[in-house]
Parts: sequence; structure tokens; C-alpha cells
Amino acid sequence: MPRHRLLALLLAAFTLLATGCAGDDDVDAGGNGESADAVDDTTDFGEDAAAAPTAGGDAGEPANDDYEQDDVASGDFPVTFESAGQAWTLDAAPKRIVSLSPTATEILFAVGAGDQVVAADSFSNYPPEAPTTDLSGFDPNIEAITSYDPDLVIIASDANDLVAGLTELEIPVLMSAAPADIESGYEDMAEIGLITGHVDETADATATMRSELATALDTAPETSMRIYHELDDNFFSASSYGFIGAVYAELGAENIADEADNDGTGFPQLTEEYILESDPELIVITDQVSYTPDDVAARPGWDQISAVRSGNIVVVEADIASRWGPRLPQFVSAVAQAMSASAGS
Amino acid sequence: MVAGTPAARSVAETRRSSVDDGVGAAIEGAFVAPRLSTTAVVATLVGVALLSTTIGAADLPVAGVLRALIDRLPLIDVGTALTERQEAILFQIRLPRLALGLLVGGSLGMAGASYQGVFRNPLADPYLLGVSAGAGLGAVLALGFGLDMGWGPVGAVPAAAFVGAICAVAGSALVARGSWTSPAILLLAGVAIAALFSAAQTYALHRLNDTLAREVLSWLFGQLNTSGWRQIGILGPYVAVCGLVLHTHRRHLDVLRIGDDEARSVGLNPARSRLVIIVAASLMTAAAVSVSGLIAFVGLVVPHVVRMLVGHSYRMIVPLSALVGASFLALVDIGARTLVAPSELPVGVITAFVGAPFFAYVLWRRAGVSA
Amino acid sequence: MTATGSAIPALRCSQLTVELGGRPVLQDLDLEITSGQWLGLIGPNGAGKSTLLRAIAGLVDYDGEVVVADGRRPRATDVAMVAQNPLIPTEMTVSEYVLIGRTAHLGWLARESRRDRAVVADVLERLELSSFAGRPMSALSGGETQRVVIARSLAQQAPILLLDEPTSALDIGHQAGVLELVDGLRRADQLTVVAVMHDLTTAARFAERLVLLDQGRIMVDGPPERTLDADMLSRTYATPLTVKEIDGHLIVLPAVTGRSARS
Repeated sequence: MPRHRLLALLLAAFTLLATGCAGDDDVDAGGNGESADAVDDTTDFGEDAAAAPTAGGDAGEPANDDYEQDDVASGDFPVTFESAGQAWTLDAAPKRIVSLSPTATEILFAVGAGDQVVAADSFSNYPPEAPTTDLSGFDPNIEAITSYDPDLVIIASDANDLVAGLTELEIPVLMSAAPADIESGYEDMAEIGLITGHVDETADATATMRSELATALDTAPETSMRIYHELDDNFFSASSYGFIGAVYAELGAENIADEADNDGTGFPQLTEEYILESDPELIVITDQVSYTPDDVAARPGWDQISAVRSGNIVVVEADIASRWGPRLPQFVSAVAQAMSASAGS
Repeated sequence: MVAGTPAARSVAETRRSSVDDGVGAAIEGAFVAPRLSTTAVVATLVGVALLSTTIGAADLPVAGVLRALIDRLPLIDVGTALTERQEAILFQIRLPRLALGLLVGGSLGMAGASYQGVFRNPLADPYLLGVSAGAGLGAVLALGFGLDMGWGPVGAVPAAAFVGAICAVAGSALVARGSWTSPAILLLAGVAIAALFSAAQTYALHRLNDTLAREVLSWLFGQLNTSGWRQIGILGPYVAVCGLVLHTHRRHLDVLRIGDDEARSVGLNPARSRLVIIVAASLMTAAAVSVSGLIAFVGLVVPHVVRMLVGHSYRMIVPLSALVGASFLALVDIGARTLVAPSELPVGVITAFVGAPFFAYVLWRRAGVSA
Repeated sequence: MTATGSAIPALRCSQLTVELGGRPVLQDLDLEITSGQWLGLIGPNGAGKSTLLRAIAGLVDYDGEVVVADGRRPRATDVAMVAQNPLIPTEMTVSEYVLIGRTAHLGWLARESRRDRAVVADVLERLELSSFAGRPMSALSGGETQRVVIARSLAQQAPILLLDEPTSALDIGHQAGVLELVDGLRRADQLTVVAVMHDLTTAARFAERLVLLDQGRIMVDGPPERTLDADMLSRTYATPLTVKEIDGHLIVLPAVTGRSARS
């Protein structure tokens, strides 16, 4: 899961390739093992996408007013929590939080803990007032983190043995990985609210999210529709095993990636032939890929796909389409609108 | 003239007579065996191509596919039983992908054999001089940092990967000061340059957001998704020209094995031969890699398979490595497309899965022979 | 039919000077070699014998001129060479190795023609190597390997054959066999043979003309009877040597026991 490991593997694999596979032991044993890992990692990788940092996309959507900023934290302390195999007890609400997860950063601000955040990682680009720094979430530097003198560090993945390092320094760590489905996202959110001392605000924010989500779901057309959510031009997609792909099922659509996700990774790579054969009626791409809907439509043979014929290729903001967070209703709403438009065309 | 003894028959006489009758049975046998292997290899290639055409994630009727193929032949009109979408799947997706697999596999096999010959090293593969790392860096820069070297129909990623690969090889040659008389130095320079480019690539990859990083990674693991026939049209000429050069220089690799002095005494310029072969093999690899990403083990393993078939003369190894490489990659890609259909396995991962154990077996066998 | 005495020059070196690492190895050497002749190059170690062969084959840079009969620099189709310690690619088969000799003759796409194969087959047959055609080079004995190397140079079909100590790795029986083989080929094909020879007695027996080199210069040039002068040899080799004639053959021996003529 940690991206760092993937990169290390990659580096090892290419050093192997580059040196002409100088050692035969490395070649057969290493080659096999790494390849096997590579499969998992390539697909797992998408799961990281849900929680791991993203950059570049402009936070185009208007900021909601849910981000109340309470000066005084509420809640019952001491709070005990367990994370990454380590139990922690906080005697008081943390005042110097370092968030290395863009998802967590959004949640922190949504539950009113924004003032307690002293630093967020380089990809925490929302809300605008988040104290974005050049800290990295997938290649974290423990010295840089401790220089903020944190009393709580929230991470999405344990890269560079960060948990062990922080534990050694007796700095509490909360591991908040990407949720597998929409519902467990609420649980993660509740945990953050509890630990930061914002139980009530979290309940309010959750209620707001739930109602927004319900409204968005209601706007979806009644008719079922085949949807292809494309993550990149090697046809990686999001299936219902992850909360992104699961949105489509919630909307009553048929996610063509589901049939292909034999291993339940949530992010299967589809075969191009299958995409043509299953004939999606709506194609969703994100704004962070290096190509446009026109490029998708121009792919050889794709003129046979209904979505291409009727021009139903929509672009969603990658940040809201990859993070489980307070803005999830926006993603659902965008997709629902696109579905309505497609159904009408 | 002393007549009668074998030694006394003159070479001049050979020029006149032996063409018709003088070829002894033993020596003719030595030439016929490779011819049989060649036939077998070509037959395998045709078989794999046919199989690949009729199998895929989309369930196209075999008879319909064959009929549609025959219908496309010039002057034959048998109509087609396929729907428009099925035709699109066959002609716009399945066949270009097969063609790409054949071209890339052939390129890697041939370039691998040539590298092994030039460097006199059975562990050499086409990525030896940093082609992989250079192409990878180019791809990362193109995808992540908007470096657009795209030109006409050539996309930004293939163009940058190609340029990166060429830069890496040129860098290796530069570090080795173009010492074409001493391939060992070039080999070590390649290791250094590859390490440098890999580091730069890893650094750049760290700076990418997830979506782009995913694009780069799936590119790096090797895939044969095409943008139809256009890529084939771009890759084809490179493969054809470089392939022709390598084919005409295949015997030089045999000659280089007797040492530079003797090579020159039979009429070869060893330094020039190495330069030509390395440039052609690198260009070919770079062109293939820029389209398909890094597909491991094909260039390393295929020449060894060919050696098991036809022995150790590069006049056979080089062309047959192209054919066997093409068959191998096309065959593996059938697996990539269908094993977990309708999802897909990265073809580079399967080649490593198949290639690495096989390579270990080849080494194990060799160890047994030399022990 | 031997070419002895005929005046057709097969090869001419004029003002040939070679420097290796700043040291002159050959100095202003003039030499004309007649077609069909067996010319033996003798002299102590470091005299420049091998360098002369390498200059003729174009393997070292030189000042002066080396030309073949029609006035051009020799090519692989003019001059074939058998090195002293040839590098043997052990995994190649005998026929593949001999085929290397055809490199300069190959046609379009470097395809071997029927003629190339016929020449290889013929050469193997004449050297009684036909049964070895499909064997790997690693399976050959020293004498067989030497014959295969000669076969490769013959497949080159060059009229001039350069031999650098062709028999140094062989026992005395094989030495004579290989040299007789070369001599037979020379007579049959009108080959011109230029051979560096350590063993002066053997040189006297096979060469029609011996050139004694010392410090990059020609000391004596002529038929063996003239070149193998005991005084001249003793001075050049810095060792007392005697020359005897037995049964019409010249024999060179060290005059004092305990020191070798080959030192």
C-alpha cells in the first residue's frame, strides 16, 4: 500500500533492467517476487489515490459554509485510540496537528479542528486556509515533521517507517487510510472528530454530508446506465470495491469495472476490447489526466461506443473524485447531473 | 600441379566446379538444420498470430473473424458476419495490438541478440546502455511536467521517451569516450548512466500527483495498448530500417568473436561494426520502448532460446531472435488480454514471470555443461 | 607448377616504417615478394617480424607504402592471415568458423551464397576436416584447431597467406604436417606465403627465400643457403650457432651446449 514501497520496488526493478540483470539470483528470485508485488501495487495504488495527496486541480467548487471554526474544543478527555498497532491516550485536545493526508485535512477543517492544524502536506490544497507546507505524505521526513512540534500526526500510509519513528518520539500518530466504502468513511471522520475534541461538530458535519448526499442521489435518473470511470489511458478504472466506484452503484448505474474486478482491489485495469464490447453510455475522466474528452472520443474504434456517439464524456475534478471527504456530495452530484444529461440525450 | 590429393585441388578449380557438386553431405547438413528451425519458427509465428486474432476479451465468433479477415484481402469479397462494433474491436483494437506486440517483441529480441553479440556478454539486454531509464525519465517528464516534444502524430510521451532513451545511450557512449574497441567500458558507462537516469526518474516521480504517477507507472510496467494503426505506422519504419541494418550486420557479430585483429584481417572494421550495431539496436529499442514502455526479459531470454534451437552463430541468432521475440510477446499478450478478462494483466509482468524462471533454467543448464 | 623464379610481384613494401609506443619497430624497409613464393621471416625476438606481417595485413599504422600487384593497398580479398594465438570462439561449429573467412565475399543482406558454402565445403574437404564440420570448436585438439584456422584463412580466397608462427603450439609431428599442408596448398593454388618462423631448420626446409630481420631492418635476404650463414646468425641472435648440411637439408644448431638457438 505505501507508495514509497512501490517506488523502491520500481527503482530496484529498473536498476535490474538497466544493469542487464547482472546477478542471476536477483533475476529469477527478485524478478518474480517483485513482479508479483508489482501487480498488487499497481492495482492497490488506486486505493492510495483515495487518501493520498493530489495536486494541481483548482478547488473550483465554492467553499461550503460547513467549516465552522470553534476556538474551544469540545469533547471528553482523556481520549484513548488505537492506530497502526499502537494505543495512545490524549489527556487534552491536540493543539498542534500535522496532517499528511489531504483527506484528513479536509475533514479536520470540516469538523472545526482547522485552528488546531499547524501544518498540512504539500497536496492538502483544500480548504484554501489549510496551512499547506512542503511536507510530503508519501516520502515523509520525520525531522521536518517534528520541527512543527506536533502533538498529533495524521497520516494516510506508513511510509519510511514513520509510525515507528514517531512512536519512538512519543508523538501520537493516527493512521487514517482510504475507506473501502462510503459508510466506513463516516467512521473515520467520527474518529478524527473524537480525537480532536469536536464530537458535536462532527455529528453536525456528518448529518449535513448525509443529507447532501441523499439529495444528490435523488437527482440521479431512474433508468439504469452503463458507466465507465477512467483513471488513466491504460484503462485503469474504479470498481464498486472502492468508495469512488461504489458511488455509481449508489446512483443506480452499472459500473462496467465491477465485472472486471475479480480480485476486489477496487481499481482494476480493463482490457480495451471489453470497454468497447460493454458499450458504456457515460464515460467519466478526471481533470488530472494528460488528455481531453476529445482525445478519448478520437481513439480508434471508440466511435462505436454509445457514450462517444452521444458526446457523454464528462470531466470531474480529481481531488473530489479521489478523496473521501466533506466534498464527496459534490462528486456524487456532478455524476448524477452527467447521468441525467446522458439519459436525456 | 600435383593432382589427385584433396589438398591439391585448387581453390580456383572450386570456383568452377564445386558450386554444382562439391558440397559434402556433412557440411550441407550443418546448413540444413538451421533451415528446418527457421521453418518451425516462422510456422509458430503464423500460428500465434492467428490465435491472437481469434482470442480476446471480447467474444468474437471465430468463423466471423476469419471471414472478416478474408473479406479484407484484396480482390476477395465474402462479406462479413460481424457487427460494426465487432469489426471495430477486431480491426481497430485487436489487430493493431497484435501488430504492436509483434513489432516490439521482434525489436527487443533482435536488439537483445545484437547487444549480447557486441558486448560478448550473455547477460546483455537491450536496456543495457540506459535505454530503459532514459525512456522512463522522458515519460515522467512528459506526463508530469508538461514536457511536450510531441510532433505531428507522435504523442508527447513516446516522443519524450524516445529522446530520453537516445540521450541515455549517447550519454553512455560519451562517458566511454566512444571507445568502440572496448565494449566493456561502454557497458560500465551504461550502468552508470542508467543509475543516474533512474535516480532522476524516481525523483521526478515523487513530485507527481497520483493520477499522473499512475499513468507513468502503468507505462513503465509495459503495455501494448495502442492508439490504433497510427503508432504502428510510426514505429514500423524504425523497426524496418534498424532491423535491416542489424540483419546485414549479423555476421559481423560472429567475426567480432575471433578478436579485433583477425576481424580486420578478414575484412571487417570492428569499431565501425560495433558503432553501427549499437546505434541500430539502441534506436530500435528506443522506438519500441517509447510506444510500449518497459517490457522486461524479452531481449534477454529470447536469444538464449534461439541458441538452444540453432546453436551459437549470430548469422542465425539475430534474425531468428526477431521472429521468436515477436511470437513470444504476441503469445504472452494473449495471456495479458485474456487470463483475467475482462480485466488485464500488465504484459511486462507476465514476460518477467515467464522469462525469469526460464532464464534461470538456461543458466542452470549452462552451469551443468561447464561443470 | 611453381612460381619460383617468375618475376610477378605479389606484394611490395617500400620505405615501410612502423613505430609502436614511440619506438621504431620497422625502419625504412623495402621488400618485394614474388607471386607463388614462400618467404620465411626469421630473426630474434623483437626484430619486427610479426609487425611486418601486421603492417602488410593493415593491422598497424605505418609510414611508407604497402601495395599488391595492381598498386593498391591490400584488402581482405588479397591477404589472409593466421595469427599466432588466434582467439577461438569455442561454441561455434567448425563450418560456422570457417564461414567467417567468407566475410569479404558476402553479397546482399550478408547472405551466404551457394558458392560461399561450396568454398567452405571444399576447403574442409581438402584439409580433411569434412567430418568435423558440425562439431563445436571446443571439441577439437590443438592440431585440428590449427588446421581449422588455416581452413578459415583459405576460405578467404586471398592469393597471399600470412602466417605468424603457425606451428608454435603444435608437437613436432603436427608441425611438419601443417607446414606440408600449407606448402601443398601454395603449389596447388599459386599462393604466396609469408611466414614468421622461429625454427630455422624448418624455415630452411620450407621457405624458398629467407629474410633475416634485426631491430627493424633487413640483415640478409636470399635463399636459405645464403641467409643461414653461421657468422651472421650468431651475431644477430647473439649466440654462437653452427649450420650443417645433412642429406641436402640445412640444420641450424647451437654451437655451445647449455644455450639455445631460440633464446
